Formats: sequence, C-alpha cells, structure tokens
Amino acid sequence: MEPQDIYYDKNEYVETASGNKVSRQTVLCGSQNIVLHGKVIVQSDAIIRGDLANVRTGRYCIISKNVVIRPPFKKFSKGVAFFPLQMGDHVFVGERAVVNAAVVGSYVYIGKNAVIGRRCILKDCCYIEDGAVVPPETVVPSFTRFSGSPATCTEDLPECTQDLMMDFTKNYYQHFLPAKM
Amino acid sequence: MAYLFQPDYVRYVCSCGSLKPISKMYFCRHCLKIRCGYCVCHEADSHYCPNCMENLPSAEVRLKKNKCSNCFDCPCCFQTLCTRAGQAPLRPPASSADAKQDVKATPKKVYYLSCSLCRWTSRDAGIPDQYVATGGWPEQENPNSTRISTLIDFHKVLASKEKQEQQRKKFPTKRTFLQYEKFGLTSAMVRKRAGKPLEPKSLIQHSDQPAPAVANEEVDDLPAGIFTEAVDITKITTLEQRLQHPDVQAEKINELRPQHKQFLVKRSQRCRGCEHNVSKPEYSPQSIKFKIQLAAFYHVPEIRIVTCEPLRVGVASELLLKICNPTQHQTQISLLPLDTPTTPTTVTASGEEQELKRENIQMGSESPNLLPLAVRQISVTEDPKPITVVSGAEIALPECPLFLPPRDDAAEYDETNDASHFQDDKKVVVWRKGNKIVVRLHVTPFANEQNKGEPVIVGFVLRHGYVNTLATLEHKAPQKSELNVQLFLTLGNLVGTA
Amino acid sequence: MLRYEGIRYISDKQMVVLDIGSAYTKFGYAGEATPRGIIRTEVKCPESKEIRRIFNYIDIDDLYQLLVEFLHLLFFRHVAISPKDVRIVVLESLLTPTQFRETLAKVLFRHFEVGSLMLLPTHLATISTLGTDTVLVLDVGYQEATLIPVYEGVPILKAWQALPLAACAVHECIKKDLTDSIPNLRIPEKTVEDIKVRTCFVTTLERSAKLGTDDAPSPPPAVKYPGLKTIEIPGYVRERAFEVLWERDNDNLSISTMILDAIVKCPVDTRRQLAENILLIGGTTMAKGFASRLKSELNTLLKSDLYSDKLKIQTFKFHKAPSKPNYTAWLGGAIFGIADLPARCLTKENYLKSNRVPDWVCLLDNQKDDTSNCGI
Repeated sequence: MEPQDIYYDKNEYVETASGNKVSRQTVLCGSQNIVLHGKVIVQSDAIIRGDLANVRTGRYCIISKNVVIRPPFKKFSKGVAFFPLQMGDHVFVGERAVVNAAVVGSYVYIGKNAVIGRRCILKDCCYIEDGAVVPPETVVPSFTRFSGSPATCTEDLPECTQDLMMDFTKNYYQHFLPAKM
Repeated sequence: MAYLFQPDYVRYVCSCGSLKPISKMYFCRHCLKIRCGYCVCHEADSHYCPNCMENLPSAEVRLKKNKCSNCFDCPCCFQTLCTRAGQAPLRPPASSADAKQDVKATPKKVYYLSCSLCRWTSRDAGIPDQYVATGGWPEQENPNSTRISTLIDFHKVLASKEKQEQQRKKFPTKRTFLQYEKFGLTSAMVRKRAGKPLEPKSLIQHSDQPAPAVANEEVDDLPAGIFTEAVDITKITTLEQRLQHPDVQAEKINELRPQHKQFLVKRSQRCRGCEHNVSKPEYSPQSIKFKIQLAAFYHVPEIRIVTCEPLRVGVASELLLKICNPTQHQTQISLLPLDTPTTPTTVTASGEEQELKRENIQMGSESPNLLPLAVRQISVTEDPKPITVVSGAEIALPECPLFLPPRDDAAEYDETNDASHFQDDKKVVVWRKGNKIVVRLHVTPFANEQNKGEPVIVGFVLRHGYVNTLATLEHKAPQKSELNVQLFLTLGNLVGTA
Repeated sequence: MLRYEGIRYISDKQMVVLDIGSAYTKFGYAGEATPRGIIRTEVKCPESKEIRRIFNYIDIDDLYQLLVEFLHLLFFRHVAISPKDVRIVVLESLLTPTQFRETLAKVLFRHFEVGSLMLLPTHLATISTLGTDTVLVLDVGYQEATLIPVYEGVPILKAWQALPLAACAVHECIKKDLTDSIPNLRIPEKTVEDIKVRTCFVTTLERSAKLGTDDAPSPPPAVKYPGLKTIEIPGYVRERAFEVLWERDNDNLSISTMILDAIVKCPVDTRRQLAENILLIGGTTMAKGFASRLKSELNTLLKSDLYSDKLKIQTFKFHKAPSKPNYTAWLGGAIFGIADLPARCLTKENYLKSNRVPDWVCLLDNQKDDTSNCGI
C-alpha cells in the first residue's frame, strides 16, 4: 500500500535548513548535545534527553509522537556515567517507544510501544515489533525480527530490507506535508 | 518497508506456485525466473555469535559444538548474561599475620555473570567468581561420556567388520553371524533367527566389546517426604529450563548452570534450476552488504495499491496502482488477463518473437566452478504448488503498453517534470515521475456466494521487458526479453451490493 | 575437556540425528553423547501466524508444508548446517503411519536434497545404548506407549504392544481434575504440562488402592502455582495425575499389562531374560516414582489370577541407559549412526530412481533373502 499523506500544522513545526522538521511541542533537553543530521522528523511530545549525554541521529530518521530517547547509563563502583546514544540513517521509531540503547544502527524499525533496554546495541537492518521489550544489554543482530517480552528473535528479514527501509522513510518524509490553510 | 509490517496486499506468483510479496522473492538472471525462499536452496555460509559478533571458520564451529565460548545465556530466562566486576569478598583474617598480608595486597577484582532481566547471578548458583573477565567458567560434563564413547568405539569396529565382510564376499551368502546383520528387520530375518539355537559365542564376542549394561532390581523410589513436605514451586525448574541443558536436566533452580550461546548462521541462496547464487551475503556478521543480491525487488517492476474505491458487486470501482521500474533500463509494461501463458519470450535477431528456452538464454560466461550441465547432478525438483486463490472481480486492463524510464537516483533532486516525454493516455496514466507511474484501472466485483466475507482478490499478468546484462560481459548486445508474472491484489471487503 | 572431545571426528562428514517425537524433537550429531537441543515439534504457520503441532496435520499436503517449515527452522536455526547432501538418521517408531514417513522422506530428499537417509526403528536403536542384545523396550512418550521386545538383536514383532496411555492422557486427566476443583478455569496445555512436570508424581500402589475410598490417605500438600492469576493445585490432583496409566481400561489393559502381555507372547525360553532386561524410555517415564510403581504393579499382577498360570517369572530387572530417558532413543541413533554403513542408508540417487522408501511391512522389501535390504 502506498502511504497516505500526513498533514501537520505549519505553525507547530520548525523546518531547519537541512530539512529537519521538529515539532515545537517536544522536550529537547540539552539541545546543544542533540545533532539531527538532516531530513529528520521529530513529532509532538517526543522527549530527547540530550542533557544526559550526546544524542546523534543520521538522515531520514522519524521520531514519532510520545517517543522517549534517553542515553543509557552504566553503574561503576564510583557512581554512574551516561553514554552517548548513536542512531544511524533511515530509522523509524514508533509512537510511545522508549529507546535506551547505546547504538541504533541504520535501517532499523522500532515498533509502537516498544522498549529498548539500557545499553542495547541494535545492528543495521533489524526490526523490533510493536510492544516488544528488549532486555538491557541485548545485541540485536542484522536481518532479525525481535518480538515479545522479553524480546527474542522470531523471524528473519528479507535481504532487501535496506532498500525497503530507505524507501519507507523517504516516502514518509515526502508525505509529511504542511496542511494547506 | 510497508512490506515488513503490513499484510501482503500485492502477491506475486513464484515459479514454484507460492504467493509471496515481492520483498521475499528472488529473480534468477540466468533462468529469468522468479524464485522464492521455498524454491531456492539455502546454504549455511558462516556462523557467528549473535552477542559478540565473533565469526569462526566452520571447522572451529564444529569443534566448539556450534556455541560461543565467551557468551552465555541465562539458564532461567534464556537472555544473554553480562559479566559484572566486583570486589572479592573480604574474609575475616584468621590470624594477625594474615591480616597484615591482606592489608598489603590490593583488593582483587573478581568477575561474575549476571542476568539483567531476571537478576539471576552466578553467585546465586554457587559458581565461584573468576579472576579473569572472559572464559574460565567451569564446564559441566556429561557423567556418562566415557561409557558412551566406549559404546561408540565398539560400534565403529562392528561397522568396519561388516564393511570388510561385504567387500570380501561380493556374492550373497548367509551372513547371519554378523553382528550388524542381526539388526535387520525383515520378517524373513525373524523367521530365520527364531528357530535357531544360540549362536556360537565365539563369533559374536569381540575382545573390545564393552561390558554389557547390568539390569538392576532396585529402582528409584519416591522421595520419602513427598506426601508431607510442602513444595515451593519457585525452586523447581520448568521443563523449558530443563531441556535447555539436556544432559543434566536439573530439577532445582540452584542447580542451573549458564549455557554457552548458540551461533547463528548467515545464509546464501542458490537457484535450484541453474545452481547460481541468487543471494550471497558478505562474510562478516556486522556487514549488511551482499556479494550477490538478486532480489526480485531490484529486477521486477513493483506494483503497489494507491487507493481503491469502496467495492460493490456489479459496480465498477476505481483502482489506482503505482508501478515502479527498479532496473537501469527503460522498460515496457503491459497488463494482461490472468490466463495469459507465463512463458518468457524474446525477440530474435530477425525480429520475430520466439519462446525463450533454456538453450537460447544467454548464460554469460559460465563461472569455472560450475559444472557443465551434463555433468551436474540431476536436479531435484519439487512439484509446483497449485494456486488456490480465486479472482473475485473483473478487471478492465489498459490495452496500450506503458513505458517506464530507468531508475535514476539523481532524479530525486531533479524538480523538472518529464511527463511530456511520453505520449501517455491521460485516462490510464494519471501521474508520472522518474521511474514511477500511477495508473487508473476499474474493477467490478462479481457476486460470489462462496467467498462471502472474504476480501476481494483480483489477478492479472504483468508483462515487462527485461534487459539481461549478463551478456554484455562478453561484449555482446544485451538480450531483451519479455517476461510475464502473475499477480494477485487483495483489494478489501465488499461494502454492499448496488 | 568435553567440549573438545569431538576432535577425532573432525575429518569425517557430519551426520545429523533426528528423533521427531509427537511432542518434542531431539536433534544433534552422530557420535556425540547428548543431543544439541530438544525443541517442541511445532511451527508457526506462515499464513495464519498460529503455532501448529506437526502431528496435527490435516492431510498430506498440509503435512508436507508443515515439515518444510519445521525442518527449515531446525536446520538453519538449531542444527546450523546446510542440509544439502548431508547424511541424516531419523528415528521412527515401527508404528509410524506410512503417510508420515513417506512425506518425511519426500521433504528431506526433494525439498532439502539431503544426501542419504537412514530410518532406524526407535526400539531397536535404543539397545545400542546398553551394549546388550536382549532388552524389552517400553517407550512412553506423548501420544502413546509402545513396547517391542528385542531378543538377541532381533525384534519380536508379534509381541508388540501399543496403548494411547502417555503424556497426552495424563494432561487430559490433570485438566479435568483442575477444572472440577476450580470452575471456569481455562488453561492451555503448555501450562498443564508445566504443572505436571513441576508438581505431579506417580503415587505408590498402596496409596493408589485407597484413593477414592473412605479411608483415603491424607493428600500431599497443595501447591500455589503462579501465573496471571495464582491457582492452587490441590494435593489430590498432584497424586492422581498419573493414575490413568495404571487404571485398567475396558479391555483390562494398562502400562503394566503391556509388559506382561508382551512377555507372554514371546517364546518361553526368552521370557526370563526379557523380564530381567527392561528399559524405560520416553519423557513420561521420567515422572517421579514411575519405575517403582511399575515394579510393584508388575509384581502384584504376576500373583493375580490373570498371569499366575501363564508366567513363571520371579523378578523384574530394569536397565539404566547412560542418558536421560527422554533422549535415550536419540542417543541410540547417535551411537548406531556413527557406524557408516552405506548398505543401510537410502541414498538420494536411489530414492529419486525408485521414488519410494523401503518399508518392513511391504512385501517388496521382504521377498529377497536378507542380502539386499537397504534402510531398515
């Protein structure tokens, strides 16, 4: 199915020179530590905790409504340290997902209501199903589909996942349009 | 990507008869046929640990029993265990002399395994902490391994004896004294054996025969307290936990031991018709690239449903389809009725159309590791699956062919409208950009009593031109051919009758 | 170290041993002491997305598709090997439906293109774990209990016994008892199985006789079973779970009569030896107290009118295989399979030529003298 157009309120979104579309109704803590690499959509009520550590995303990332992106911490014998959170290109994060990963690769799909535990590593081309709970410090290999709570590998992804995901995020960006007044 | 989370609305028919979305299909350039996961030959290419991403050569994988030596799974919840560092617990000094030494010695770092999901730790299970971060964890041994290996050795000897006998006596003789032959199970055998006296012992006794197991009259009785003692179910392992470790199958939670993580495999796919690879990933487990990638998504035009008007029996509804050409060559597309034969055709040098057969497909230079056809093994073929989908609507197909320009990644940034290059019938082609067009069709569902409540499915044949670039390697002109593929679209439920 | 014991086989080609049971499938390589894993014999249907048991197939085509899906997962996820041209040992009960074994062979040869297939009868292969030739093998698995005595390496087929008294019947029994005590309770079979494994046991003969009478012994303590809703499993459910295996049915048959009936059908001179070489295999025999109950049942029956005239056996002796009973049959296959005997294997070439699997019930494979039997 071809995606439908999604219209947004022109007054709500800020569009940057590099093509990022960021809602004004988001909580971007420590915005100097957040780097959005262009053509990234951050939708309303998303929270990005740049105050804890650096957050970098690649191009064509889609952060849906009510998503929480929070750099992970690690406990040491002397206190706690936060680690930066890296996200690759063409990543989709579904509504109300909580991402605590250390690394999210490129061409990754994170479903609605999914929880990615502390210091997880999501490799390129993987798929976290809606509502999956990935336990802390899990490594999700490429071309796998994780689901359930605790999330386990249930299926393999097709070989052309990279292009499917690129197509999806680009299409999403193209269909994310300002509402005509 | 919609293919990954939506139901399959558009299904292509594979050469084997399976119906699959285009994302799960391959296209063999050598046979010019669509293949799918069901009709290709899968091969395990490389093994890797899903946690530490280490990949090993296959000989070593066999040696390690297909398990990672450094990564462990939690025996309780089967998630990956993490190595945690801690201080060695301080022991109360036994004497004043020891106490002095302890002060001097720096506190040693120790490591233990812990599960971040269910909070199981190796300390709970009573496994001593380690002084090195990786490896060194005690292995559990199968208590019967020595007995089993003597049995195995004995059977090897028996087998080699039987082989020798068979080679010595090519002509049929009575070979009943052979140990192995007795395991035959023909009724003739039983009849023969039944009335015979005991075999002379000397013939079946071998010097290296292991001592036969001794049966015992004593059996394990029920534990004494089972009728009176209360059971704490949280201390008893589940069947899943037991089966995770078949040789121990511990009954109590604290007897569980961490299990080595199993390797995953990277797979390559090979066409069963011509033995060429249709997909071969790079060796490294980190890489998502492919050495050979012949997914149908890159070779066969992709069709997507844009919109479909609500369907009513006997009423024509508008159906918009988006067609995309993924190849580097301009292609011509026509939509034909479902009963069109799907054999590929090609245009010969003289300009006439002929059926494409195996012999006249330009194979390109055969790679040296492929055996010539005659020498190759007889190809094992499965019978194609019958197609069970029935079309529930009449579809009006455009008569004129449609042209699709080649894919051009730069065109994305090109704002100029190039629709004028093509003389399109505006009634059919409603939109055109780059290598994509949207066409308008009309479907009229029939009244069908059998499939009430089921979504309406409509089918047609997609004919597309395909340029086989394999031949260009040998400086020949690329071969152009016309390929046909059957498609089934699931349009949705009927909303009522007219 | 155990992990490196495989070093001596590293040069030869690996042989995969599969024991596809109706509930669990055991898999591994020939020449190893334990299976690589034990998984449920079920698969997620690619179309309907529901979990289906392989043995609940509708027809042959359905079974073919289920087996393709299941074996694909088994080869690439669990065994991690390319099945093409690999040698396979499959353990099968002599009572496997012909439909099933033919479809299995078709899937293995036509879909996975395996190199050769050796079909081994479970009961016969099992005796190679003991190093003796005379064993009475009783297999109590999920669907049914089967028994075949093997004397001097030859199965005495006319004495075979089979009854649908196995895990499935036990599960039904627990489910019924639980729903009686807790109305409106809906529990999936997986949970019933877990309750059985973790809490139930086989009670003694003396107590069993008094169950249900007025002077019934006080039941064992109840167990709280956690879940979405904690349920309390009454003590009598725990104790009575396995009673169905011993209660004699309309034909006066139970697990214990199976053994005695089989011995009665055997020639007189083999009886004592068989009775003194009993081997219990299959997951259900791992229940606590199973063997001791079986022994006391056998001894009691021996004195009863039914058998006191026919059988003059004094003692029953039981073997202990060097393995857990639920994978003993697999181990038998793993030991037997190491002997590389081309004559007993069905090769791909032969299968594609003849398109059939040799079968012991078929006259075609029995007409010649024992010189040319391939397969079993």
